[in-house]
Amino acid sequence: MSTYRVAAKGRIDQSRPVHFTFNGERFEGRKGDTLASALLANGVHLVGRSFKYHRPRGILSAGSEEPNALVGVSRGVGRSEPNTRATVLEVFEGLNTVSQNHWPSLKRDVGTINDAFYMLFSAGFYYKTFMWPKSFWNKVYEPFIRGAAGLGKSPSVPDPDTYASRYAHCDVLVVGSGPAGLAAALEAGRSGAKIILVDEQAELGGSLLSEPAAGINGQPAWQWLETAADELAASKNVTVLTRTTAIGYYHENFLGLCQRVTDHLETLPEGAPRERMWRVRARQVVLAQGSIEKPLVFDGNDRPGVMLAGSARTFLNRYGVKVGNRAVVVTSHDSAWLAAINLAEAGVKVSAIIDIRASVPYHLVDLAKAHGIEVLTGWTVTGTSGRLRVSSVRVNPVTAGGKVGRARNIACDTLLMCGGWTPSVHLFSHTKGKLDWNEERQMFLPGAPTEETRCAGAGNGVFGLLDALKEGAFAGASAATDAGFKAKAGDYQIEGEIACTGISVKELPTDRNSSSAKAFVDFQNDVTAKDIRLAVREGFQSIEHIKRYTTTGMATDQGKTSNINGLAIASDAVRRPTPAVGLTTFRPPYTPTTFGAFAGYTRGSLFEVTRKTAIDGWAEQNGAVFEPVSLWRRAWYFPERGEDMHQSVARECKATRQSLGIFDASTLGKIEIVGPDAAEFINRMYTNAWSKLAPGRLRYGLLLGEDGFIRDDGVIGRLSTDRFHVTTTTGGAARVLATMEDYLQTEWPDLKVWLTSTTEQWAVIALNGPNARQLIEPLVEGIDLSNQAFPHMSVAEGNICGVPTRLFRVSFTGELGFEINVPSRYGRAVWEALYEAGRQYDITPYGTEAMHVMRAEKGYIIVGQDTDGTLTPDDAGLGWAIGKAKPDFVGKRSLTRSDMLKADRKQLVGLMTRDPKTVLEEGAHIVADPNQPVPMKMIGHVTSSYWSEALGRSIALAVIEGGRAREGQTVHVPMPGKTHQAEITGMVFFDPENERLNA
Amino acid sequence: MLQQYRPLDGSRIAVPDSVLGIEMADDCTRFNLRIAGTGIAPAGKVFGVTLPKVIGQTAASGDKLALCLGPDEWQLMAPLDERDRIEAAFAALYAKVPHSLVDISHREVGIVVEGSAAAVALCSACPLDLDEMPVGAATRTIFDKAQIVLIRQGRDSFRIEVWQSFADHVWGILQAAGREITLEI
Amino acid sequence: MLLIRCPHCAAERPEVEFVYAGEAHISRPRDPAVLTDEQWKNHLFIRSNPRGTHFERWRHIHGCGRFFNAVRDTVTDKFAMTYKAGLPRPSEAEIREARS
Repeated sequence: MSTYRVAAKGRIDQSRPVHFTFNGERFEGRKGDTLASALLANGVHLVGRSFKYHRPRGILSAGSEEPNALVGVSRGVGRSEPNTRATVLEVFEGLNTVSQNHWPSLKRDVGTINDAFYMLFSAGFYYKTFMWPKSFWNKVYEPFIRGAAGLGKSPSVPDPDTYASRYAHCDVLVVGSGPAGLAAALEAGRSGAKIILVDEQAELGGSLLSEPAAGINGQPAWQWLETAADELAASKNVTVLTRTTAIGYYHENFLGLCQRVTDHLETLPEGAPRERMWRVRARQVVLAQGSIEKPLVFDGNDRPGVMLAGSARTFLNRYGVKVGNRAVVVTSHDSAWLAAINLAEAGVKVSAIIDIRASVPYHLVDLAKAHGIEVLTGWTVTGTSGRLRVSSVRVNPVTAGGKVGRARNIACDTLLMCGGWTPSVHLFSHTKGKLDWNEERQMFLPGAPTEETRCAGAGNGVFGLLDALKEGAFAGASAATDAGFKAKAGDYQIEGEIACTGISVKELPTDRNSSSAKAFVDFQNDVTAKDIRLAVREGFQSIEHIKRYTTTGMATDQGKTSNINGLAIASDAVRRPTPAVGLTTFRPPYTPTTFGAFAGYTRGSLFEVTRKTAIDGWAEQNGAVFEPVSLWRRAWYFPERGEDMHQSVARECKATRQSLGIFDASTLGKIEIVGPDAAEFINRMYTNAWSKLAPGRLRYGLLLGEDGFIRDDGVIGRLSTDRFHVTTTTGGAARVLATMEDYLQTEWPDLKVWLTSTTEQWAVIALNGPNARQLIEPLVEGIDLSNQAFPHMSVAEGNICGVPTRLFRVSFTGELGFEINVPSRYGRAVWEALYEAGRQYDITPYGTEAMHVMRAEKGYIIVGQDTDGTLTPDDAGLGWAIGKAKPDFVGKRSLTRSDMLKADRKQLVGLMTRDPKTVLEEGAHIVADPNQPVPMKMIGHVTSSYWSEALGRSIALAVIEGGRAREGQTVHVPMPGKTHQAEITGMVFFDPENERLNA
Repeated sequence: MLQQYRPLDGSRIAVPDSVLGIEMADDCTRFNLRIAGTGIAPAGKVFGVTLPKVIGQTAASGDKLALCLGPDEWQLMAPLDERDRIEAAFAALYAKVPHSLVDISHREVGIVVEGSAAAVALCSACPLDLDEMPVGAATRTIFDKAQIVLIRQGRDSFRIEVWQSFADHVWGILQAAGREITLEI
Repeated sequence: MLLIRCPHCAAERPEVEFVYAGEAHISRPRDPAVLTDEQWKNHLFIRSNPRGTHFERWRHIHGCGRFFNAVRDTVTDKFAMTYKAGLPRPSEAEIREARS
């Protein structure tokens, strides 16, 4: 094993080696390592190439803020994930990882040529570079951008994993389990309140995991942590979720938590979900998200081996890994001094601490010197060198007047930097909580909340361990109190804490030409300080514009390490104070989240509800091809051996018109309207007159919106004086019921009438054809089916095949027809009985396509196909369905608006192509003169178009401006390859006398 | 009478040690009753259960159950053989107290979810705080994309009433939740 | 996801049980026939669309099924109060009271 692993340090299991590969090379880590810590233990810093310049990049941080160390992870077919942060990826035996964004190899990458063309890729390079010449776009620029775009490779086969979701409710949700979060959860938990504690890491502890030296309440920090974790685990009212990221904070204390369930496991349990999205509603929330260390901005700050000082401390104390053998520290904050001393104690040669500040607390200086570290306060860093790893750092003194003195070089294999700490206010920002700028501390802090929430600890700008514990305890106790429980914050004592302070700086001062410096602000999107200043020089003043022009903060890390540095530089460049420049908006998710986690169960067969009728199973067994109609799947056609759709539909139509067809109409919407005012209510809703409809009779009903346009239609049966059976279109069922409820509840609450959806109470079997009556006559009891007793548009209750039925005599094909309503669980059995009995008539099941053809032959419209929300009853040729004598109905007033009376309104008409074999495309445009210049004036379009077997030719319906007055005229229908001629006709193509219907 | 068709009948989702058991409920008679304030008491008499007046409450008598789902809306549940009697009795009431009684026996199916993990299984797709739902409560709500009526029959016993064509979808999600509970994951 | 208090169920319930139903306190004219085209257009299409306090309708469609009215701030999305349909528009004082 490598020389970088420190025995007897860290929380990893030193006795359990774990093997993994990175770019095909096999490495050994320890149980408990992240990929980052395991690679560093093997001396590997170089882990990827940067996005624009393909510069070699190393591991910058130890946490989820990592911008550089993005790797691809592969666990077999379909299980590959790009852009996983090596700093959060837990290693397990057999883990396979690759670096990204390089070709042919990580160490030799031809993309580095971009680095040489640095000027080309500065701020706004997309906008500037790819604009000219125009002819280059297709052949040169677009392929280049596509080739270069994105980091990593997305998987190319479907994800075999499943994902889960769960709703949860709690009194107090605590986000973050560092000292503040733990203290909050403990206090709130002791009150008996229902608590959820969530942390993105594999174990509780947060910053405590990196700081074992302190003592809390007389216990060493890690012992206290264990006691705390045990207490929480033993509390029945506390749910602890580790490996779970609070990704978003939404209205009314609703948070999304993404739990990684199996990613860290060596073997995946059969059937286990990979991730689970928790949707938590909390009465109170405590945000203890901690803080993120800021990099310093100087030339060459992105070289592998340059990393955050606090992260180096984490790698050492938590993972037992030295990040190098020879370190230099550059900082503007005390905390990096502690990191330097920790490293020195672990045997790392710390050559020097460069502090930007002229004066640093004496105790730190003394401590550093005692460890043999050279102290250079009031110095700056002006460059680094080394090809794939930093090998030396260039440092210069800075005078009080700001003059940069002569440089010297210090050899190192690691450069640790610290520009201070930024409170993590992301979730607080999701709630639109106001952020207040603290000028003295140069940081944004949470201000007045908009939700029942409070911030505690480093995330609230409270960095000291003792203060964080106390604030956490107080936050936990007050959250529990506000949630209605009795709680009181306990006290804490701390030993061995060293308070840290620091200053905030922009780019470090340099003696070199700053315009050629590659001082990175946003590591992931390759944005330098120079880019930001250039954007300001080019006229961008708003931080939102600067962000988009330079792309700073727009990478997958949302600028966790870069936003504040970028803002400081932008504010300096525009010469306005930071709060006036403002912070860009943080948006969910806090860290990159898989689509799977958002989808949850919603994939495959559960992607959408697939509603099936009671007869669906029979259709499936009999070879039906299905089509989706709203949420339903409906039998589209029933092909027999070797038939295509056209042949099948032609056969189904022919059989129905010649003898007998059977059709599943169960999806029709049904509403039972009951009450003394039922007829009055239907009168007000529908265009027709209903008062005089006798019980036992049916009528076609047309429903408009108040704007006068057709919304729905259907047949309505009066079962008794006070009871109606209303049918709607399949897709309109829910909408129609909601509209009716709206009028009933809010406009006419005085009406004594009630509505109930019965769509699924009834299975509906439509029988159509000359032999329909013969078939059912022997099977029906209690209803006289003779033409005199039961003419077209009748309804009666009785029995069929021994099952109660509401029998409709109605037809949507133009043939003698019945719609047999039976309680839905009997639907299939009745269907099968009819089918058996119908064999003597060659009974033929037909699907929705044949139904569409036959209704078009009769000129019956389909709302939503032949109408599009802009057709009035008159436009659709349904003027006859308006009760002219009625004083009012929904939509009536609009029918007399001036626009509705224009002669050139689009009207529904029939179309017959000059060539009878040509079937027009539905949606095809119609023009009057095919020789006019393009773009032509369109006078209408085809709404329905079919081959009619009954007529031996094609037929179509179309809406055409002033169409009815043009009957007999020829119009032209341009389609791919040819413009077709067609004649405008009436809408009824077949049996206009309705002789078959009334047979 | 012809055979009734119940696609999910006989299916069962089970987690060992009675942690979770999910199966289709026996069929019953169901009515949707809509009636105005003054009619509630006589309607209760006709049905044989004093109708609860608070939305979300249920009342039972023998094997009959009444759920108050809205300010003027009840779901009445009774044994299959009571259907005709109930319908006739309400028909007799109509002249004096107009109302709407509609048979929805076949519109719905019942799914019984029982066991110590029953609430967890339901939380996979139901946004309600079930800790706040007392035994004997019933409410219309949503389960993923399906509208359901959820009845809490006991501390660890729930019944879902759902429209026939949405039952497969509800069942599919409960199956996935059942797997998670089996794996304790 | 919002929490919405249904005035009929007297309980706060998750937003997924509700649908939005447009601006409140717009009633259908008793006799539309007597309205001019202009008046009818205004009734049909013209809405207040305020920044801030908005009176609006919701329906507890996957609950008790009732339409009701709400006062919501269109900037913060926060509900001040909900009340049954048919009740008069709350006064500014009542809304302030509900918000505090």
